[in-house]
Amino acid sequence: MEQALQVIFSASFIASVLRVATPLILPALGGLISELGGVSNIALEGMMLAAACTGVLVSVYTKSAWAGMLAGVAVAMLLATLLAFFHLNLRADLILAAIALNILCSGATTFVVYLVTQSLTGSGDKGGTSTLISQQMPFIEIPIIKDIPVIGTIFSGQNILTYAALILTALVALFLFRTRIGIHLRAVGENPDAARSVGINVQGMRYLALILSGFFAGLGGVFLSMGYVKFFARDMTAGRGFIALAAVYLGAKNPWGTLIAALAFGAADALSIQLGNLKIPTQIVQMIPYIATIIALVLYAVVQRQRAINRQRKFRQAV
Amino acid sequence: MSAAQITFDRSAERARVAAERRRLATIDLVITLATILLALLIGFLVMLVVGKDPVKAYQALLTGPLSRTLRTGRWLEDATTLIILGLSVSIAFRARQFSLGAESQMYVGAMVGAVIAIYVPMPPVIAVILPLICAMVAGFLIGLIPGLMKAYLNANEIVATLMINAVVFRLYDYFLTYVFTAPGAQQIRSEAVQPNAVLARIGDIFKFNFGRVNTGVIFVVIGVILVWILLTRTPFGYEVRTIGANEKFARYGGINTKRTIALSFAIGGAIAAMGGVHLLLGVHNRLIPGMAAGLAFEGIVVALLARNNPLLVPITGLFYSYLRVGGDIMEQEAQVGAEIVQVIQAVIILLITAQVLIDLVKARRARQTSQ
Repeated sequence: MEQALQVIFSASFIASVLRVATPLILPALGGLISELGGVSNIALEGMMLAAACTGVLVSVYTKSAWAGMLAGVAVAMLLATLLAFFHLNLRADLILAAIALNILCSGATTFVVYLVTQSLTGSGDKGGTSTLISQQMPFIEIPIIKDIPVIGTIFSGQNILTYAALILTALVALFLFRTRIGIHLRAVGENPDAARSVGINVQGMRYLALILSGFFAGLGGVFLSMGYVKFFARDMTAGRGFIALAAVYLGAKNPWGTLIAALAFGAADALSIQLGNLKIPTQIVQMIPYIATIIALVLYAVVQRQRAINRQRKFRQAV
Repeated sequence: MSAAQITFDRSAERARVAAERRRLATIDLVITLATILLALLIGFLVMLVVGKDPVKAYQALLTGPLSRTLRTGRWLEDATTLIILGLSVSIAFRARQFSLGAESQMYVGAMVGAVIAIYVPMPPVIAVILPLICAMVAGFLIGLIPGLMKAYLNANEIVATLMINAVVFRLYDYFLTYVFTAPGAQQIRSEAVQPNAVLARIGDIFKFNFGRVNTGVIFVVIGVILVWILLTRTPFGYEVRTIGANEKFARYGGINTKRTIALSFAIGGAIAAMGGVHLLLGVHNRLIPGMAAGLAFEGIVVALLARNNPLLVPITGLFYSYLRVGGDIMEQEAQVGAEIVQVIQAVIILLITAQVLIDLVKARRARQTSQ
């Protein structure tokens, strides 16, 4: 009996890891594409936030979760296009422009939520949309699998976007390493001059990389407000856009590595939620994912340096 | 060819360089003012679109901070913090590093300062200076962490500083709740700092209602002079500026770029900690929850508008805090969310970093002067 309980507990824990990791996996895929395209997107955070807000508000008005999702993703991609335009056409500093976008999204979402809650309920609420009725993306029970003891608990009944995150990881891997455009995109990120010299449209590839990263950030944001929970709250992304970037580094800029890293961050986050039930101060528990991110950054950097040193040594031996 | 013909007219050359410098400064000023106007215009249009009364709102935004002495006081108090933040950010910016750690550095500075200012009895003056110095050392150390990570490991400094902010904010909250707050207290807040450590309110000195503006403005004066000397009159400043101009050149020129980059983060941290001490000893006189919340990005626009020039930071800091306080007043009086100020801020950053727009203005002016 006790053993059985433990299994159920751990299976539900893994299921919660998948759920908690989804809003990290999706933007991390976006971060990966932009990183490989040589235009690292610091504005994932803002794009997620904008998508989360738009999704909820559109679903409030249309009563359709799908319309909300489409609108949310579209807004995130629009913001990504704006970022690309400022960086690639107006030659703005990519990082500063992205920081500006993050500030813009944080301010604009609060501003809009205040306006909408004011007009719909009579009293403006800056904190979020908890007073409004919004929609949620569907959760899916997978026929046969849902009846298998442990696996059913883990893999069935998740939100459709959680499945999308896993499938999209495979698609991104295919896209980046098996398609012509994907290889061109990576070539631009590796060495833009060399890519240009063989006739690759460098500007176009960078646009593509940023807009795709907006797409994934948008999906992640939509999941946050229309799957993970069913409302938009002010600054609800809480640094996930940046943790996603860290997952890209920790995952050695590889789709599967990124997935694993995002799952690891998800596990740290899920653990902190579980520990929240114990008598440990919440502040300490909430630090876990962020400390994990800092450690991951250092770890990645150290490994990267060691690799470079090894490569040099090999090169010297070969010479 | 005789030697006389190729003598170099020093004074003429110097005058030419000075004129050129003046010309570029004028262009920068024009661009900055145009950017601000354009950003305000965009804010105006946004309000027009959402059906608010933009004239009334902008009146509150643009005249609010001067309408009462109390509000003017709020403006100057906020400006003190923002100028210090701008100075802090400008050091790393000069080396082309993006340190967003000001928030955590302020919290650490305030905490370390509080330990001394609350619990260690001290005579006047020293009661301010000692917490300040200890806070700055702490800020230096906490700023050094992302600095070392960036300089020696090439870790992404933006992710690093923001994650450190998230951790430190929770640490601060933890210590405030479980250590600084007396058991059984009604509110979560620390005890007040000792009377000797309080930075006197200027309104109290001159007997009028001037809000929480306090003698902490001296920090601004000290900070500006300190950062200006550091950046323009010391080898470290030269190294920072050289790295900012061209990091490879700096390295080949024999500068220890790693050490300098790490130090630029750390010194920015020490300055930001001054801001924390200002909040602690001047504004709140104790630790309160979320004391420096949301200040992580506010230094950027101040430093950017000032082109990272420490002598200009006070002007841009005064400007931006004017908008911030004006935004709050606008919210009270015209029911328009103060967040529109964040939107304006973002537009300013976007426009001011758009190199092509700047080149356009420069080309136009060059054409005009040549005609």
